[in-house]
Amino acid sequence: MTHAQTVPKASGPIELGFALVDERELAAFARHDRLTREDYLDRLGDARDCVHLPDDAEPTHFFLGSEFCEHLLPSTDAIDRAVALCERWGLIFGLVTPIACDGLFDPLRAALARLPGGSEVTVNDWGVARLVQREFPDLRPVAGRLLGKMLKDPRLPSATWARMYPNGLRAGPFRDILDGLGIGRLELDFPPFGAADMYAGIDFPVGVRAPYGYVAKGRICKLGSLSVDTPKKFSPGHKCRRECLGFSEVGARPGTNELHTTQRGNTMYYRHAKGMAHAVAEAVAKGWVSRIVLSGA
Amino acid sequence: MQITAPISTPAEVEPLVRAGARELYCGVVPPDWIQRFNTSGVNRRLFGNLNGYADLERVVEKASALDAEVFLVLNAQQYGEQHLDALTEIAARFRSIGGKAAIVADLSLIASLAANVPELDIHVSSVATCRNVESARFFASLGAKRIVLPRDVTVAEISAIATALPDLNIEAFVLNDGCVFEEGTCHTVHLPMNKGGPICIDNYQFQYEATGGGKPQERALRRLEQNDLDYKRWLWYRFGNGFSLAPNGYPWGPCGICAMPAMHAAGVHSVKIAGREGASERKIKSVELVAQVLRRIEAGEAEHEIREFAAGLRDAPAHCASGYMCYYPEMRSRATDLEATPAAA
Repeated sequence: MTHAQTVPKASGPIELGFALVDERELAAFARHDRLTREDYLDRLGDARDCVHLPDDAEPTHFFLGSEFCEHLLPSTDAIDRAVALCERWGLIFGLVTPIACDGLFDPLRAALARLPGGSEVTVNDWGVARLVQREFPDLRPVAGRLLGKMLKDPRLPSATWARMYPNGLRAGPFRDILDGLGIGRLELDFPPFGAADMYAGIDFPVGVRAPYGYVAKGRICKLGSLSVDTPKKFSPGHKCRRECLGFSEVGARPGTNELHTTQRGNTMYYRHAKGMAHAVAEAVAKGWVSRIVLSGA
Repeated sequence: MQITAPISTPAEVEPLVRAGARELYCGVVPPDWIQRFNTSGVNRRLFGNLNGYADLERVVEKASALDAEVFLVLNAQQYGEQHLDALTEIAARFRSIGGKAAIVADLSLIASLAANVPELDIHVSSVATCRNVESARFFASLGAKRIVLPRDVTVAEISAIATALPDLNIEAFVLNDGCVFEEGTCHTVHLPMNKGGPICIDNYQFQYEATGGGKPQERALRRLEQNDLDYKRWLWYRFGNGFSLAPNGYPWGPCGICAMPAMHAAGVHSVKIAGREGASERKIKSVELVAQVLRRIEAGEAEHEIREFAAGLRDAPAHCASGYMCYYPEMRSRATDLEATPAAA
């Protein structure tokens, strides 16, 4: 935590959120009468060492749901419990939603209908963004990190490679489209070989997910096929037993020294290295990032 | 229903059209682009592009003479704002020589083309990961004429989108090249093979961890390891059965030809053959393969007969039976259901 003490302080306290995918873990949070930054950091386990927060960062938001999988939409019961907890804690609730197939839209409607006005909805699908705008105008849509495209390959040999496909987050049409959908905030990752100023000059308030960035996600899920009969494995549209909530895969490439990499269900992640955590802290200090959302892989 | 085929040289136009393709797609990297931006990243494939504007003009000219249309891929997942004007100029130039459509994923570029090159059709690339009706409506509102659906959708999902939006052309994958992750949410580059290649077949060695830490129990580990073996087998199919060809020259690899009757019935406009970077012979044989099935659909042959024909085209039905070579594996159970009914018998 030493670096956070050396960077200049931002103009106001940063917003701090925690994103929970597995609704069963709500029970552990429910034991708290109020949530502190330490409660949030403790949930990260060893990965808490990869996060630098300003000293005055205290919880403002709590999120439930998955950005990456249509099988992990929380139950309405879990949403009700999370909303009630947030009221008790004095936090803003946010529902996180994935890229959706058409079959997910009715469950999504049912989930969105449980949210009190002013709740956030992290959208990662343009169709879902339209749904929120048209049918739930009291909710606040946030563009999730699946919509903020950037190169994030943890294997890149150098910064030169990282510049091959620059992001388009500052492009006028992108801004106009988000405006048109009523989206007022952008959530992003911090990429390998990134620098703090990658968040400068973006016309939206920016939140950063830490300390894991996502590399790639599929609709096909190896782990989600564990209980599927052999010929039907690795295909879309089958039922899922949510094995990803019980197991993850920790990986390495022999002979390389790259970012710590994990696969959880259909998604691959890298964990921030120390230097990346410093860069995010710098972006916070300079006011380019106004929220950190802590989440596991 | 049209066949949409990849090309990377003007010489491929005539044989592909003769084989049955009426729509061709290609990429080009203008020399001044590299000078200006110090990258060749104009589209998703660094290799497999035409060799400059002169080739692009030849392609459009040859295709027009054969009554085929040409689409230009400008389908990087994202572009920097500094690229938009240059890309719009490329698209305008393509339109001026008779190009029909640009295949685009980046939202800002879609908006820029709709505003500045309105005569050029916009096809939303599979890289945009549009896989629901609302999302398709969103892209239509930006000016899209066609949606290329991503690989991992079901035939029922394709049908739902095509039915709900009859004014929007729907294109679905039918042959070759299998991404493991969704193209639009895979933020990697295909590194040279000595640096790891595509991340989905790189040499990662994963170990399972139970949530909360520690090794999974022995029984669970055994099941996970068996699942890993199945997954490796699926990967082999996903990458073209080890990048091989059938003895009769037809390409192995992800395939949805037995789903074509259902897609045709749903009103799908085009079936896409992937593989701009492939050899010319592979592209030609791919179009021949798909065209044989399409001819039977157009002749009104029964669906189960067409599926049986499709499964026999490469003379190795075991690969079809595995289910792992399918873009639309649910068609296997549909075939079984139909075979079980007296009408089908």
